[in-house]
Amino acid sequence: MGRIPRDYLINRLVTLVLTILIAATIIWIIPRLSPVDPAEIALGRMAAGAGSVANSEEILAQLRANMGIDQPLIVQYLKYISGALVFDFGLSTAAFPTPVSTLIMNALPWTLGLMILSLIITFVIGNLLGALMVWDRSPKLVKVAIPAAMVFTSIPPILSGLLLMWIFAAKLQWFPLTGAYSIFVEPGWTWTFVQSVLYHGFLPALSIVVVTFGFWALGMRGLMITVQGEDYVKLAEAKGLKPRYILYRYMIRNAILPQITAFALKIGLLIAGQVLVERIFAYNGMGKLLYDAILNQDFPVIQGVSYVIILITALSVFLVDLLYPFIDPRIRHEAN
Amino acid sequence: MTDKPVLTLRDLSIEFPTPTGVVQAVKNLDLTIQKGRRVGFIGESGSGKTTTALAVMQMLAEPGRIAGGTIDLAGIDVLSLTEEEMRQTRLSRIAYIPQGAMNSLNPVMRIEPQMWDGIIAHEGNMDRAELKRRSDEALISVGLPVHTADLYPHELSGGMKQRVCIAMGIILNPDLIIADEPTSALDVVTQRQVMQTLKDIQKKIGSGLILIGHDMGLMAQSVDELAVLKDGELVEHGTVQQILEAPKHPYTKDLISSVPLVGGDSFLNPDRAAAAPARDSKEPLLRFENVRKNYGAVTALHPMSFTLQGDTPQIISIVGQSGSGKSTMGSIMLGFNPPSEGRVLFEGQDIQAMSQGQSLEFRKNVQAVFQDPYACFNPFYRVNHALKFPFKKFGLAESEAHTQRAMEDACAAVGLDPDLVLQRYPHQLSGGQRQRLIVARALMLSPKLLIADEPVSMVDASLRASILANIYDLKDKYGISILYITHDLATAYHVSDYVMVLFKGHVVEAGPPKEVIGAPQHPYTQLLIDSIPWPDLHRSWGDGRQDWDPAKKEAEAAKAGAVYRGDVQGFDLAKAATLG
Repeated sequence: MGRIPRDYLINRLVTLVLTILIAATIIWIIPRLSPVDPAEIALGRMAAGAGSVANSEEILAQLRANMGIDQPLIVQYLKYISGALVFDFGLSTAAFPTPVSTLIMNALPWTLGLMILSLIITFVIGNLLGALMVWDRSPKLVKVAIPAAMVFTSIPPILSGLLLMWIFAAKLQWFPLTGAYSIFVEPGWTWTFVQSVLYHGFLPALSIVVVTFGFWALGMRGLMITVQGEDYVKLAEAKGLKPRYILYRYMIRNAILPQITAFALKIGLLIAGQVLVERIFAYNGMGKLLYDAILNQDFPVIQGVSYVIILITALSVFLVDLLYPFIDPRIRHEAN
Repeated sequence: MTDKPVLTLRDLSIEFPTPTGVVQAVKNLDLTIQKGRRVGFIGESGSGKTTTALAVMQMLAEPGRIAGGTIDLAGIDVLSLTEEEMRQTRLSRIAYIPQGAMNSLNPVMRIEPQMWDGIIAHEGNMDRAELKRRSDEALISVGLPVHTADLYPHELSGGMKQRVCIAMGIILNPDLIIADEPTSALDVVTQRQVMQTLKDIQKKIGSGLILIGHDMGLMAQSVDELAVLKDGELVEHGTVQQILEAPKHPYTKDLISSVPLVGGDSFLNPDRAAAAPARDSKEPLLRFENVRKNYGAVTALHPMSFTLQGDTPQIISIVGQSGSGKSTMGSIMLGFNPPSEGRVLFEGQDIQAMSQGQSLEFRKNVQAVFQDPYACFNPFYRVNHALKFPFKKFGLAESEAHTQRAMEDACAAVGLDPDLVLQRYPHQLSGGQRQRLIVARALMLSPKLLIADEPVSMVDASLRASILANIYDLKDKYGISILYITHDLATAYHVSDYVMVLFKGHVVEAGPPKEVIGAPQHPYTQLLIDSIPWPDLHRSWGDGRQDWDPAKKEAEAAKAGAVYRGDVQGFDLAKAATLG
């Protein structure tokens, strides 16, 4: 009891490694299907800056050699995979010669902070609301939340972000318009800095919460309806348990299980989904990094960011799998 | 004993408003239950027996409502209670033991907290030691070991879960226990043990008991009084003796006579004049060659060999408790589950090594009827699709009109009106209708072998006989050989030509039903027969026979060698020397 069975652990570890490997391969292949030559883009950028470039053929060859794209594909692939293991994705072609890993390390904390904060808030609010939609003792007001949740879910985050910016930043001026922290504050582990970060993060987080809580609420509602019909809920009522206790220990406790898996899967999606929100709030996260990299055909950065997204998703799914035997005793049984 | 009534229902009416009108689920019911008495509510599904019980608990499913009458629970006017008062009344005064014990426990909580929360909800928080003392006492009183408290529901067997539910129900010494088909999911031996536990505990705490069910035999062995319900009306009420010996209402008479009895009159009308159409086949229809099945370290089926010839159709019954390996046998025959050792041959061909074409042919020739008629239909398609699809898939359809005719004939053969059922969706049909349709679907493909795994255990008792008659007709009229897997010995007695009794994966007794079931010789077969509740008061099942000890009998059975009785033409069972 209380231990994760060994076979189960090995099974999940193998799945984890395979997922990462396959996904890393796919994100390596996709940009190479594009007819664009990043060396030419770099050259074009140079040409645009200097007016004209002499010896363009040699420069192109030099650029290709620097980027490593003059080598056979298999060599490129093996280099990429072995590099990915130690988070070495080479140098950015757009911000040459900054290492991709440096760019990612600068952006990642912002995204993780914003994302995890908003995801947790959304998860709690969404699921609680979804559960209350089904519970027959909820205040009538909660029933109104169903259409509201659907409306908000169908608004693209960029629109809700702009709307929130307009109301709270431009009109009411309660929150700053852009940035991740005030330019007058020195970054560091000081209270003023943390305050500034929270202050700046509020609106982007809110716009994510507003558009995503409906997903959780509607999903939870469906699960709760199923659980509500279960015999154990009926028996709990026949035992004369207090309604609130039944709601938490018998209904939500069982209905939440699939949502926890969804939570892990959602982490990866959210980084991608956050691209536009980060854009409009000029928030220096992974989303913005990815967006800029796509615009600039910056293959190494695209690969690096995608890889990190996959890694985070796969790891969170793995963690949930490890957690699952503790939250659902039946899994432990099956694994044995 | 009859000092004051524990439950009085006066003129109780319950209705369910539906879009098509109000359905009267219970009509003007009058009933009194005295303290310490056990009253059986018997009737078909839809007769209002569960609805009445739920009304007493004030737990009617939406949109049901009590339209009139009063419910008096030991002096409390139930209908005047507030929601909070009603909550406090549940479990402390009136306990409910649910039908589906399989799913009645919270899967993510251990047993102990699920027992404690009931106590705490009524008596407030208390010392852990006191809670532990009380839950342990309740577990012991239902014959469960104390360590059960630390287990999760999925770690318990069906019988154990049902006992846990009983333990929970009696933990606050209620005035009235309502047991809603508490044993319908259990096999006969476990059923008898659980019912015995329930009766003992009810006597000990002196409460009233309502036992809801549809099995007349179980009622006869378990209750003092019977209330017969039909379409929401109480058609007859009296002591169990009065009702069994001199039923007044025709419906009660039907209920009593529809129970298939070992040695009783057959419910079948075999048309002996018309000999079953013989099939000519060189290879035996089905052959087990030393088939063995292991699940991990557990051997579900010990090496078994038999040959079923196809020329004379026979019904071979395989009987045993849950866990005896009988369903494993069924799934091995169907090729769903490969044997761990040995081979299964269908017409000389190993079913695990068939080409795609052979496999298709095999699927057409071997049809199955399963236990749960609710799970066997895709809910998104109308019934005619479910019937048509395999027919066309196997290339039997010549034209639309031909398919239609085949469907209509098949429906008619199982006693269904094609105009009534074919255009419907599965959820619009009753369990009995669905099960007949499964038989009809099998029939349309004119298979050579039908594997029927507990085909009637989930349908109302009154319908069982007629569905079995449909299945019997498949052999009699269409020459289909049938393997009938069941725990119901009485039906096996009537329909089969040959019976194999399975115990822990071994055949312990085999032969013609009149010998094996009519006069069992092996201790295990005797145990099974003894566990059948008889709708006969002179054949006591519980109190009268204190020598009844399944554990002892099972130990005896494990030592005894297999008993082979007479043979039947067309079926050869290899006789194992000893149990290994």
